[in-house]
Amino acid sequence: MRQLANGRLRLAAAVAVVTLGLAACGSDDAGSGTDTAGSEEASDIKVGLAYDIGGRGDQSFNDSAAAGLDRAKEELGIEATEAEAGQGESDAAKEERLRVLADSGHDPIIGVGFAYSAALAKVAPEFPDVTFAIVDDANATGDNISNLVFAEEQGSFLVGAAAALKSKTDNVGFIGGVQVPLIEKFEVGFTEGAKQVKPDIEVQSVYLTQPPDFSGFGDPAKGRTAAQGMFDAGADVVYHAAGGSGSGLFEAAKAAGGLAIGVDSDQFETAAPDVQDVILTSMLKKVDVAVFDFLSSVSEGNVEAGPRVYDLEQGGVDYSTSGGMVDDIKGQLDELKQQVIDGEIEVTDPTA
Amino acid sequence: MRRWDVRDVALGLAAPLLAVAFSLVIASLVLIGAGDPVLSTYSLLLDYGQRPRSLALVLNAATTYYLSALAVAIGFRMNLFNIGVDGQYRLAAMTAAWVGGAVTLPTGLHQLVIVLVAVLVGGMWAGIAGLLKATRGVSEVISTIMLNAIATGLVAFFLRKVAVPVAGSNNIGTAPIAESGRVGGLPLVPDSALEVFGFLPVAVLAGIAYWLVLGRTRFGFELRATGRSESAAVASGVDVRRMVVTTMLLSGAVAGLVGMPQLLGASYSYSLDFPAGLGFTGIAIALLGRNSPIGIAFGALLWAYLDVSSVILDIEGISREIVTIMQGSIVLSVVIAYELVRRYRLRAEQSRVGRELAQAPRAEVAA
Amino acid sequence: MLPRAGARSTQETDIATDPRSAAPSPDAVAVELTGVTKRFPGVVANRDVSLCVRTGTVHALVGENGAGKSTLMKILYGMQRPDEGTIRVAGREVRLSGPADAISAGIGMVHQHFMLADNLTVLENVVLGSEPRRGGLALDFAAARRKISEISTAYGLGVEPDRLVADLGVGERQRVEILKVLYRGARILILDEPTAVLVPHEVDELFDNLRELKAEGLTVLFISHKLDEVLSVADDVTVIRRGTTVATVDPRTTTARQLAELMVGSELPSPETRESTVTDEEVLRVEGLTVRDAAGRAVVDDASFVIRRGEVLGLAGVEGNGQAELVEALMGMRRADAGRTTLADEDVSDWSTRRRREGGLRYVPEDRHRHGLLLDAPLWENRILGHQTESSVSRGPWIDRASARADSTRIVEQYDVRTPGIDTLASALSGGNQQKFIVGRELSGDLSVLVASHPTRGVDVGAQAAIWDHIRAARRAGLAVLLVSADLDELIGLSDRICVVLRGRIVAEVDPSAVTPEQLGSAMTGAQDDARGGAA
Repeated sequence: MRQLANGRLRLAAAVAVVTLGLAACGSDDAGSGTDTAGSEEASDIKVGLAYDIGGRGDQSFNDSAAAGLDRAKEELGIEATEAEAGQGESDAAKEERLRVLADSGHDPIIGVGFAYSAALAKVAPEFPDVTFAIVDDANATGDNISNLVFAEEQGSFLVGAAAALKSKTDNVGFIGGVQVPLIEKFEVGFTEGAKQVKPDIEVQSVYLTQPPDFSGFGDPAKGRTAAQGMFDAGADVVYHAAGGSGSGLFEAAKAAGGLAIGVDSDQFETAAPDVQDVILTSMLKKVDVAVFDFLSSVSEGNVEAGPRVYDLEQGGVDYSTSGGMVDDIKGQLDELKQQVIDGEIEVTDPTA
Repeated sequence: MRRWDVRDVALGLAAPLLAVAFSLVIASLVLIGAGDPVLSTYSLLLDYGQRPRSLALVLNAATTYYLSALAVAIGFRMNLFNIGVDGQYRLAAMTAAWVGGAVTLPTGLHQLVIVLVAVLVGGMWAGIAGLLKATRGVSEVISTIMLNAIATGLVAFFLRKVAVPVAGSNNIGTAPIAESGRVGGLPLVPDSALEVFGFLPVAVLAGIAYWLVLGRTRFGFELRATGRSESAAVASGVDVRRMVVTTMLLSGAVAGLVGMPQLLGASYSYSLDFPAGLGFTGIAIALLGRNSPIGIAFGALLWAYLDVSSVILDIEGISREIVTIMQGSIVLSVVIAYELVRRYRLRAEQSRVGRELAQAPRAEVAA
Repeated sequence: MLPRAGARSTQETDIATDPRSAAPSPDAVAVELTGVTKRFPGVVANRDVSLCVRTGTVHALVGENGAGKSTLMKILYGMQRPDEGTIRVAGREVRLSGPADAISAGIGMVHQHFMLADNLTVLENVVLGSEPRRGGLALDFAAARRKISEISTAYGLGVEPDRLVADLGVGERQRVEILKVLYRGARILILDEPTAVLVPHEVDELFDNLRELKAEGLTVLFISHKLDEVLSVADDVTVIRRGTTVATVDPRTTTARQLAELMVGSELPSPETRESTVTDEEVLRVEGLTVRDAAGRAVVDDASFVIRRGEVLGLAGVEGNGQAELVEALMGMRRADAGRTTLADEDVSDWSTRRRREGGLRYVPEDRHRHGLLLDAPLWENRILGHQTESSVSRGPWIDRASARADSTRIVEQYDVRTPGIDTLASALSGGNQQKFIVGRELSGDLSVLVASHPTRGVDVGAQAAIWDHIRAARRAGLAVLLVSADLDELIGLSDRICVVLRGRIVAEVDPSAVTPEQLGSAMTGAQDDARGGAA
């Protein structure tokens, strides 16, 4: 019995430690810190950037925001401090992160991800002189809050159309990382785009995980399994909005002889060379542009509070053409793009 | 009471202190390896953690951790490994938030209903594992892990059904609980604008109840007896199957409380970013606190202190993982240290018995 | 346990006429233990053990379960270090601080449970851990194979080096184990209950192998509690009881019955004025009690008996004949498949353990560590165990710590429990003191029946006498006692009547004042005719 009790204790300890380890894995090093880039024109702007879970290096939107920040450091000569959220932390911790950044003289402060919504809405009024911005959220509003939001559904609409045009089986797929409203915007846009071109096309759709399990954004094995299932079920083009899990889709597409569509950045450029040839196009969501634009308007002193929507018209979302695989349908896609911009086609935003 | 007790206390404290010291050594080595300054890192943690606002945050986090660890400890005392506190509290908090947001009741009753729903749901979810073990012999380790996964799915599913969409937000959550159902904060920390969860006294009461039930009641005695030796408990007339179910129900009920401080004191709604993983933190803290209500309190405060202080680290350019490393090494080394102390104690006790009896008339050696 | 006792005489002749049993230099001593004592906290170990094993003989070590055979064996194989005493191998004193030392001293052990890897061949298993090297690195399997074949032929083991262990039968595996030990150069082999896993013809083959080994000058130490086997193969038999060696006898002049008496203790108890306290008031009545094991076999078969106020009913039997199951069924810890139990005129057949205890049934378990104590808890908490609902230790749902502590102190004083205090952990006490505390606890409060299972097993003689006295006193005070024991002294000395249980059935009832230990021993082993004389 005693033996058993001890065995259990050890098991408990092991589980506890493994769990902690997983939590640590979830947040790959942020490579954070205050550093001034070698810039031509030094500026006295000190920006505080608070990432969501994953931080710099998550191969997803945190990374995209980091790219925008890096460009701002380079071109605008600003200083930056980066911090990232811990696994399963409460709003109080996020508030504290923003507060500490504000207290230590950072201005502006950017919260990356909708998770900062409540925290930002609470902290921003405490620091009326500090400029805040939040990516992917229009809910936290205030005189000193800029909301950098994207029309993901519009970009997804275009790649949905591209998928339908390229599909020979009239069967395409969508893989979402985690089933949250943000990712559902991608799905809705993709589906509408595909149906726009081929009303009878079949669109398969799957989400890798459910919140609070956010591993669907960083699990290539899950992505690969889901993609294989779709190719086996007759799809020949599959689009993902699953962050790091997307590389699994590319492998599966390569193996099944199908096509894949990337997300966020131009994944033709970033994917492994041997899977480049299956990447039809990517839905570009230019968080980096949004972050850079925001920072440059700060440095120019003309920040506007309220939502700034990055849509097709603004060029905040788009589709990529590298690799040349959509060259033959570019005309049709650009026509659709113009129709969306002109309001002739209205793509549904499920979160509106 | 006796001279022995002083030594007992000293020995009891030795293990956790050694573990903390050991974890500091490990963390220092990691800091040196990473090229971060060691001493200034610790002084940063110390300074930051002592600010009034941080102290309030520590108390808030510790309240939640304490409840979670209590839930785990109830099972531990009976050698039941309720790894499912995580799923239990999330399911409980989601259901309670939904019910709380859907009804309008007078203050007092409103909170009571919400907490009651949470306790019932948590208990029921853990009870499934208890029933499976009692009737089918399914290891509660396996079943609670599975139930965690199922709870994740259920929460996602139901949240989708009952969530109130917020325009322009990428978050979804249950309808916010009205003022009448919230628990206001307590201005416990002077100079801090941040108030401490009004749920803190409830956590303290839960700790007292834990101590009372386990240490002073027949039920508690039988629970501990079953944990120490199931065969002896059976021979003493304990219905072990019933005990398994009751204990899991109780553990789950306390787990149901874990989400309440956050729900009633801060977020008022269960949304996608409701804190997750607290159940696992509870396991670590229960181990650290040796399942004692006081020990767990210290463990929860230490854990919360480290968590809260870690916010400052990456802002200052030091990897925040250092805190996770410290927490992990504390848990590992504390288990080893407790075992060493336990063996030392047993040996000391035996030799003391031998010594004292050697002076008594040696009738036993007559053979 | 002695099913083939009758076959002994013929085999005895075999040994006597076997020319090789004379062995080379019969006077040389292979192993000699003098005054070996090993103490464990709270358990019986070895006390002043002396053992002399002649070279080239098969020496049997017999004793009941828990008598201390395995500890002694572990001491010899270096797995335990004795607290006192010396071990000599071939006349030279040795210190064995591990099996490696034992092996280098030429001692090898064949474990009861084979330690072979199924997916390897015999050759690989044998060399595992002592791989033959050539030039320091490469494995030299050819040499090993040669050596194995040599050993196999020399001792008639018939082991083929290249067969997969998974394909071997139990007897063959055992021979591989023996070969493994010989391969490492052992001259003295310890065999731990080697026949436990074998079927009869394999036993015969094993004994042939042992005689072969003996003929080649090797020494075998054979541990068993199967007396007929011991008598058929051993040259000397040493009996161990209560942790100490009580006699070494010559199997040719000893009967199985005599051995059994030595094993359980045959000295008659100190004469006692056997004033009867038996009344005619029936307290416990058991009718047709049947308990089946998982396979449906009746381990307790239609047992019926009655115990009256002031009466001790002894239940005699060789261990494993259903006593443990009967006791557990009686205590409500195990479901009875049939039968009726009446406690003080109430049918308690469907009662839980708790209700039975509350109804006045008390229990001194056979295995106090498993069933009688919380080893990690202080004594005063152990006072509560089994009595949770009694007013002496609890009030309603609350534990009454003060009363529990006070009553623990009373037990410690009244029952002479040697402990520094009631806050001492139960595990720190010696076995005898643990048992005295349990007896004291179970004899507390309102009780009518005590079920005492081997109440003095593994306790020292002083504690034994004290426990007996307490049981006698309780009987005088009107307690009904069911005494389950394999100790003949205890049974005859304490009981008012003795029922003999064999294979789950109560086969005889004898009057302890008219029965000799020999007669009782026979009845226990199934040779009932002799015991009929004492039947009441």
